[in-house]
Amino acid sequence: MRRAAALAGALWLVAAWPAAAELRVLASTTDLKSLVEAVGGGDVMVDSLVPAGADAEAFEPKLSDLARLRAATLIVRVGLGYDAWVDRLIRQAGDTRFFRGGAADVDASVGIPLLEVVGRGLEAQQSGHAHGAANPHYWLDPANADTITAMIAAGIGRVAPALAARVAANRLRFLTALAARTRDWQTRLAPYEGAAVIAYHSSWPYFARRFRLNIVGVIEPKPGIAPSPAHLARLVAAARDVRPRAVLHEPFEPVETARLVATRTGAPLVVLAPSVGSVSGTGDYIALLEHNVAALARALASAE
Amino acid sequence: MIGTGEMVVLLALPFAACVVFIGVHAYLGIHVLRRQIIFADLALAQLSALGATVAFALGHPPTSLAGFAYTFGFTALGAVLLAMSRSLARRVGQEAFIGILYVVATALTVIVVDRLPQGAEHVKAMLVGSILTVEAADLEKFAVLYGALGGFLWLARRPIVALSETGAPAGGRAMVWDFLFYLSFGLAVTSSVAAAGVLLVFCFLIIPAVIGSLFAGRIAPQLAIGWVVGAVASALGLLGAFELDLPTGAALVVAFALALVFAGLVKYLAWGDAAERRAHRRRAARAVAGCAAALLLASSLWLMAAPEADQPLLDALEAVTGIGPMPFLSDGERTAFVDAVRDEQRYRAEVERLNRLEQASRYQGPALGADEVRRLASYMQSFNEMQRGERFVQATLRARARLRARWYVGVPLAILVLAAGALLLGVPGILLPRARTRLYSSG
Ligand SMILES: [Zn+2]
Repeated sequence: MRRAAALAGALWLVAAWPAAAELRVLASTTDLKSLVEAVGGGDVMVDSLVPAGADAEAFEPKLSDLARLRAATLIVRVGLGYDAWVDRLIRQAGDTRFFRGGAADVDASVGIPLLEVVGRGLEAQQSGHAHGAANPHYWLDPANADTITAMIAAGIGRVAPALAARVAANRLRFLTALAARTRDWQTRLAPYEGAAVIAYHSSWPYFARRFRLNIVGVIEPKPGIAPSPAHLARLVAAARDVRPRAVLHEPFEPVETARLVATRTGAPLVVLAPSVGSVSGTGDYIALLEHNVAALARALASAE
Repeated sequence: MIGTGEMVVLLALPFAACVVFIGVHAYLGIHVLRRQIIFADLALAQLSALGATVAFALGHPPTSLAGFAYTFGFTALGAVLLAMSRSLARRVGQEAFIGILYVVATALTVIVVDRLPQGAEHVKAMLVGSILTVEAADLEKFAVLYGALGGFLWLARRPIVALSETGAPAGGRAMVWDFLFYLSFGLAVTSSVAAAGVLLVFCFLIIPAVIGSLFAGRIAPQLAIGWVVGAVASALGLLGAFELDLPTGAALVVAFALALVFAGLVKYLAWGDAAERRAHRRRAARAVAGCAAALLLASSLWLMAAPEADQPLLDALEAVTGIGPMPFLSDGERTAFVDAVRDEQRYRAEVERLNRLEQASRYQGPALGADEVRRLASYMQSFNEMQRGERFVQATLRARARLRARWYVGVPLAILVLAAGALLLGVPGILLPRARTRLYSSG
């Protein structure tokens, strides 16, 4: 009898301890992971499906990801076709909690002022546009962190109402700090207002809107498709009139093409981080933006 | 819009690189064909890719000395294995060993790559390469390396040719020559795969050699033909990529394949003595006519069976002539169709205008607020939906036209094809009888 009671007690401990101590959140990308950490504080344990430094748009889920999904209480995703593989993973897990619109599902793109809207789902994908309904790189505008964290906080509130008040306080603290940093970033990039830049992949419209840059060309004609020589020649020919001052390059993109465009247009190549952890020193959301602003300011100053 | 000067500047280096690669690869390809080890290059390329991947995983960039050492080490290992497999493979054939080597190297690469965050991109680069972005400094390196390789292969031509013609090496010395052949082969594909990708290197290696061997028996003329054809195909592939707006590597592969088809046709229709040529031409004409008739008949039957499904031939005809579904629509439907096409274009232009507006507002004038951006996005969304609506109208009218064309076009076309076929088969002397006699006499 005593043994049974002890066993039951131990079982209770094993079962209840992790649930009481923390909420398990699974984010699709490192950016969302960092934002969940910012609002969740010590109350949540966050994991991201795409490892730091990998290309989320070319990600293939593994068997171990299925286990991570089953262990999670809440899933947070980018949406807009960017992490469409999450849907496949959820279907495979067959867990109705995570179905679209379910209590444990957070689509962070809801409420974001979208750019480069191309229409709905399937048709957009058929036209070879891996970006789905609109450009999905919205987290690169720090102002959008407001909307994203609101969605995350609401999601945590749904699955763990007890945490709601603490999460709201964390969020306010984070957004206040972020607003101050955003003003600083805007001041540092203000001298380069309207500067023409060329990007390899169309990751930067939201960033460009916040920091007032002019993206004059994209090396990839469509997301994920290598440029043809004619496209490159058009880009270089057009660059003669607008004089681009930087070529934006992300670590996992083929560097040869970006370097070719940089040498042919005379603009320096700048390595920017599209996501948290894709370059060293971008450990969280604020560090990510700090790195991008600093790298860009340095390049634009040198190209003066 | 883009001058010829721009094109020449952009394509000169890739073309020079293609010529340098073909110089050595066409020769190696001739040996590969004689030894019947077509996939040895894939196996060696995959091993060198494995070496590069291992180096990459250990933190050595591909251009560093350590990176090259790893790549070369794995390639040399492959050369040893291939040289050994030749004497081991008397019973099963060397291709089996080559296949196993390729599969194992690929599997190991996949395992190593899986541990790397940027692995997928790395594998894609190995497959497709980026010949378009070859730089002048790369080209100098290639020229030196392939010059040296070419020199070695020239000096060693006697033992290597002897090995390719006679089969398995007899003694230790022959084995060393065999190893040296595979080593130079590995060195050649290691550098070319890094620049041009596995697919294109396979083309460089095999297609000029195959074309050369179509027209000549000895190595020297085979090589001359392969060089000329390879250079021409490279130039056409690069020009085609430029003019038709295609990815460079894929366009080059297609150009090489077309060169092979063209060479095959020349060989079949315009080579050999006059009687043979005439017979070949007649047979080719019959084959073309037969295929065309079969295609038309299948299209007409398909149209009758499933008028609303995709009709590739009819779609192509409508697109090329620009007629569209008009002949089978009433006046009212015609107006609706024209309106739908026009409105779709108008809505698309509207979306593009809004996109430009949004882009300009990023850095010009007062910054737009979140709500203004949302409003722009919702306008764009509506215009996209309206475009879809117009496309739906067009598709509906097209389907209606097809339902009417079902019998009016399908039945006469089928009868026409069958009648033409019967005529050709039935009337003596036009196509078949001669062929029959020839078939029996040649068999
Ligand atoms: Zn993207």
